Amino acid sequence: MSNKWEVFVMDLDELVSEDEMELSIRTLNDGTDKYTYKRVNCRVSDDTSAYPDHLQVRFGRGQLAPKEFSINVLSEIQRFPDKYL
Amino acid sequence: MDNQDNNHVVRDYLAPASNREFIEALKKSGDCVQIDQEVDWDNEAGAIVRRCCELEAPSPYMTKIKDYPGFSFMGAPLSTYRRMAISLGMDPESTLPEISKEYLARTNSEPIESVTISKDKAPCKENILTGDDVDLCKLPIPLVHEGDGGRYVGTWHAVITKHPESGDVNWGMYRQMMYDGRTMSGAVFPFSDLGKTLSGYYLPRGEAMPFATAIGLSPLAAMAACAPSPIPEDQLTGMLAGKPVELVKCETNDLEVPANAEIILEGEIVPDVQVEEGPFGEYTGYRTSPRDFRVTFRVNCITYRNNATMTISNMGVPQDEGQLLRSFSLGLELEKLLRSQGIPITGVYMHPRSTHHMMIVGVKPTYAGIASQIAQLAFGSKLGPWFHMVMVVDDTIDIYNWDQVYHAFCTRVNPVRDIRVYDHSTGTPLYPHASPHERKWSMGSKVVFDCTWPVDWDPINEVPTLVSFDAVYPQAIKDKVLSNWESYGFDAV
Repeated sequence: MSNKWEVFVMDLDELVSEDEMELSIRTLNDGTDKYTYKRVNCRVSDDTSAYPDHLQVRFGRGQLAPKEFSINVLSEIQRFPDKYL
Repeated sequence: MDNQDNNHVVRDYLAPASNREFIEALKKSGDCVQIDQEVDWDNEAGAIVRRCCELEAPSPYMTKIKDYPGFSFMGAPLSTYRRMAISLGMDPESTLPEISKEYLARTNSEPIESVTISKDKAPCKENILTGDDVDLCKLPIPLVHEGDGGRYVGTWHAVITKHPESGDVNWGMYRQMMYDGRTMSGAVFPFSDLGKTLSGYYLPRGEAMPFATAIGLSPLAAMAACAPSPIPEDQLTGMLAGKPVELVKCETNDLEVPANAEIILEGEIVPDVQVEEGPFGEYTGYRTSPRDFRVTFRVNCITYRNNATMTISNMGVPQDEGQLLRSFSLGLELEKLLRSQGIPITGVYMHPRSTHHMMIVGVKPTYAGIASQIAQLAFGSKLGPWFHMVMVVDDTIDIYNWDQVYHAFCTRVNPVRDIRVYDHSTGTPLYPHASPHERKWSMGSKVVFDCTWPVDWDPINEVPTLVSFDAVYPQAIKDKVLSNWESYGFDAV
């Protein structure tokens, strides 16, 4: 089953790239960890069938974007040094 | 009830000593509705609280939370003056001037030192999670508003910290968003007590700062955490309650927390990592401050009471705690400041619907420039960044009566002479009227509206006379009209 993620951006153009990008995304899957974040390396497409997972987008003040994307999460980035883990 | 405690005679005002006692008191007075059907933490609880705020309805106490058996929510704890009166142990019907007078009397009394109790007597230690068991997702953290940047752990709470050199302990209500199971991010303004300690000590040294977040406080502890008072908040809580606060030491650091709080999060503010925070529905009634990289809290211990209650303040359009309580305590702290400077004021009031942006001051205008003096003192104080408008009226105006204040503003303010703007001052990132650049750098501007008559106008021949029932008719005529009012055919007033 595919996952559903959400990202906050200032402009949808931030997501238009063929390249791998680094994003903070939060899970929208049901469960007690809903809305928790991960920092990830990923690829994003405005073709909703291009990648396995669904990506919903919000703007900086929480407004839902009209357009949806797909996302392929490649790896998770650990933001905290070992001393905090 | 008077007692001898800590070598002081203190008066116990019989205020609710915990959030649980507060809920019971609210139930008894009809100021709380218990909801026993299941409520979803994902938006539904937030929507209930928001609607209660906008309708000034009773506080919702939600006993069955989806995914979180054994936990409960309490929303809108202090969003009405009735609930504020109950929190102080006063009659719910007390008027705002009566509540204000009582607050000033209690907070001008002798400080009451807190007492430290042992862990085995502290309810907040009934459950302790450490190590790999620490996971914020185990707590019923609500998504307060659709579109918020995350689930907000801290909306009605105290972030407890200590300055390592001065030893000053600070309880502050700094909002905290769950980023992941171990991490929270929060908005800490640079001019706040915590902001100054971080920028003045910990960040330059690259050291982590211990913190504890206490959720589900007694209403007076929450009031103290929200109040911009120079008195240490634990002592202020004691002064408001008339008895010492019971504290208990944290599991993983040397901070002390209220022993009867529902939930405690312990950890450290990290100096070398920042994660995103926001957006969030704010007390101004908007989402204004940008999503940004903010102060980051790592949690390494969670303690909580059995059947713990998560408290929720849902900020938005008036009125909620963000406006009502902050307007109340900020206005009264400004009143103390002006009185300490010998200004002949009659009182200070901030209307909750101004979202504590406008300070209304009543004064006996005995000399020229008194409105400017008031504004400069208020804007120049530590409290100044939190508001940007001062309206000064004379002692004939009831500062609590917006109709009178608004009439004075619209009729007595000369646009050239009586409006003065102060530029290049400190503001907050939450000001909706500020530009994005001003928000980012906490820049602001201020204005004073002088609604007093100029002192150099002749009071007989130059100051206009007020035309109202009370002001113009002889007492005998007024008495006659009032006594005959119903016989004229009108309803009693």
